[in-house]
Amino acid sequence: MKIKVKLYTILKKYAKGKVLEDNTIILHEDTTLQGLSRSLSIPDNIGMVFMINDSPQGKEYGLRDGEEVKIFSFICGG
Amino acid sequence: MPEKIKGYIGKQLRISLNDRSYKTEKIDTQVLKDYLGGVGYAAKILYEEIDKGIDPLSPDNKIIFATGPLTSYRVPGGGSIEICFKSPLTKAWGEARCGGNFGPDMKKAGYDFLIIEDKATEPVYLLIDDNRILFKDASHLLRKTVSEKTRMIREELEDNDISIMCIGIAGENLVNIATVMFEGRAAGRCGGGAVMGSKNLVAVAVKGSCKIEAENPDDYNIALKEVRNVVKSSEIAKGFREFGTMGDMAGNDAAGDWPTKNWQANNWGKGEELFDYYSKHNFIKNEMCYKGCPIACGRIASVKKGKFKTPKHDGAEYESLSAFTAFVFNENMDAAIHSSYLCDEYGIDTISAGAVIAFAMECYEKGLISKEDTEGLDLSWGNADLLPVLVEKISKREGIGDILADGVLKAAKKVGKKAEKFAIHCKGLEGPAHDSRSGKALAVTYGTANRGMCHIHPLEGMAYDSGKFDFGMIPYGVPDPNTVDRWDEKGKGKIVKILQDGLIMPDVLGVCKFFMYAGVTLEQYARLLSSFTGWNLEGKDLVRIGERTNNLQRLFNTREGFSKEDDSIPDRAKQRPLFGAYQDEDRCIIKDYEGMLDEYYEARGWDTETGIPTKEKLMELELDE
Repeated sequence: MKIKVKLYTILKKYAKGKVLEDNTIILHEDTTLQGLSRSLSIPDNIGMVFMINDSPQGKEYGLRDGEEVKIFSFICGG
Repeated sequence: MPEKIKGYIGKQLRISLNDRSYKTEKIDTQVLKDYLGGVGYAAKILYEEIDKGIDPLSPDNKIIFATGPLTSYRVPGGGSIEICFKSPLTKAWGEARCGGNFGPDMKKAGYDFLIIEDKATEPVYLLIDDNRILFKDASHLLRKTVSEKTRMIREELEDNDISIMCIGIAGENLVNIATVMFEGRAAGRCGGGAVMGSKNLVAVAVKGSCKIEAENPDDYNIALKEVRNVVKSSEIAKGFREFGTMGDMAGNDAAGDWPTKNWQANNWGKGEELFDYYSKHNFIKNEMCYKGCPIACGRIASVKKGKFKTPKHDGAEYESLSAFTAFVFNENMDAAIHSSYLCDEYGIDTISAGAVIAFAMECYEKGLISKEDTEGLDLSWGNADLLPVLVEKISKREGIGDILADGVLKAAKKVGKKAEKFAIHCKGLEGPAHDSRSGKALAVTYGTANRGMCHIHPLEGMAYDSGKFDFGMIPYGVPDPNTVDRWDEKGKGKIVKILQDGLIMPDVLGVCKFFMYAGVTLEQYARLLSSFTGWNLEGKDLVRIGERTNNLQRLFNTREGFSKEDDSIPDRAKQRPLFGAYQDEDRCIIKDYEGMLDEYYEARGWDTETGIPTKEKLMELELDE
């Protein structure tokens, strides 16, 4: 399935070579958000927030074809 | 001969403003071993030297500029100064930290601490240049902005590099949310600027030529290298450098960690758009707050054109710009940048200013403040034009600004008519731009932080729950945050106790807290400190000093009449958001705050009925004298 992915601030670098130019990634069916973050090689110990179509979801959420995922991390300043 | 204290100057400068006298005092080595410096040593001095119940704006209050043993240009994060006092805003323990050259330069002048007493009969500023202490007339500096004051003092002293901390117009006007400024950086919270203003002390300028030698230079250099390597390889440090604190705006919004419209919600959905606008139109470059900072998280920004045109300045921070966007429901980033800039120039706390304006907007919406009260000003949500106008009115105590100048708690009492429910604060200090509905540890850190609802000490709760930062505190009993759900309540009281005792240490040691976010641990700080002083310290010793400091500040507040009920948090910080992405998310609602608080008190060894440290705990911490 094809998922649209957008990564922010310190996570942007994990898109390189894995997320296509049109901000999409091809994943197999039944991939969860945690599976997506692992396929992007984002370390498990980084705190992340996932938004699916601008609605917050946990890492166990099962992705569906055509969804838009935003992944945020924390620098934790200020 | 008294024992030479390695790693310290070993001296403090005590200024008496009323008779323009001063004395240099040697510092007791044992007191330094027990409290180290910063907010620890200052708590000891203020607890012993000021009486219960004094008026914070009277000559009876004291203001302490405190360095720590690691305050130094050489130590990563060592460009730091703590300013401690009894707060006029909260009547509780008051402290404010400022990054910059002032701390290291005060040490170079030959003093670990500067204690200021009494009140000058006329406005003065202090020049501290090694042993040369001068009281200089400051009457010509009144009603000048912070940058004007700084420039004028440097011209007078014919020294473009001298470090200067000064108050703005707001401090002169005893605005309770007034700051003490180092150029574009603020010792922002709790109203230290008003305390300086009440003493007729307009500025302090420092320079000097002292050097402190490490007791074990080889070990010290090894420890320094270790810390530098941590910072060099840290993804978080790189994130701070590349994005600054503003880099969190979109993520915190998404996480439900962005108090919006006076805390009606914890998410707005505008964070990404506002950050993108700022990045494209306002951000110019990053900046070190002190010479040599390896992180350099500071942001130089401007507004190039339009009615909010603003010159290049240092200070575009997440907290400040959230206060003038999300807090007040304003979508105009240029207006937020301009208002934040004016706060720094007039010398008021951006967080409290945004919060008190949000409070006023809600009172206006609810009909508790009328257009007559505002002399015709339209306090509607998101009115960008209003923001700089109110910043100026607060700073000058003009019109409605005179009421807002004393913060939300006092303003709510003046407005009356149930306005208190819209005053978002703990212990009288306005809430910052992190929302306890994003993770439950933050609720406990907000309620129990000694200076109130601030953006420094409570933040470890949010960073642990949402950011999954462990801060190297797992050896001291904190569970791996990756095994803890951010919305769990059970266990958070105990976790918060341990985090607080460890994470207060940057403010005791005299370093920037961001370096612990970047991965520097208490063990590494202990190695630095041991090689510098010759004392044999481990991380656990620092945790104990952190615990002692937290308890002593708690005793300060207890003596002022604060108790368990003052550890409450605003209802809005616990309740279902009224709108946004989390309004249907039951888990973000805080169900048993009292239970978390009881767990916290038990972990602290405090009486669960009163929240007061038990005699046994005080004996254990050698605070029972």
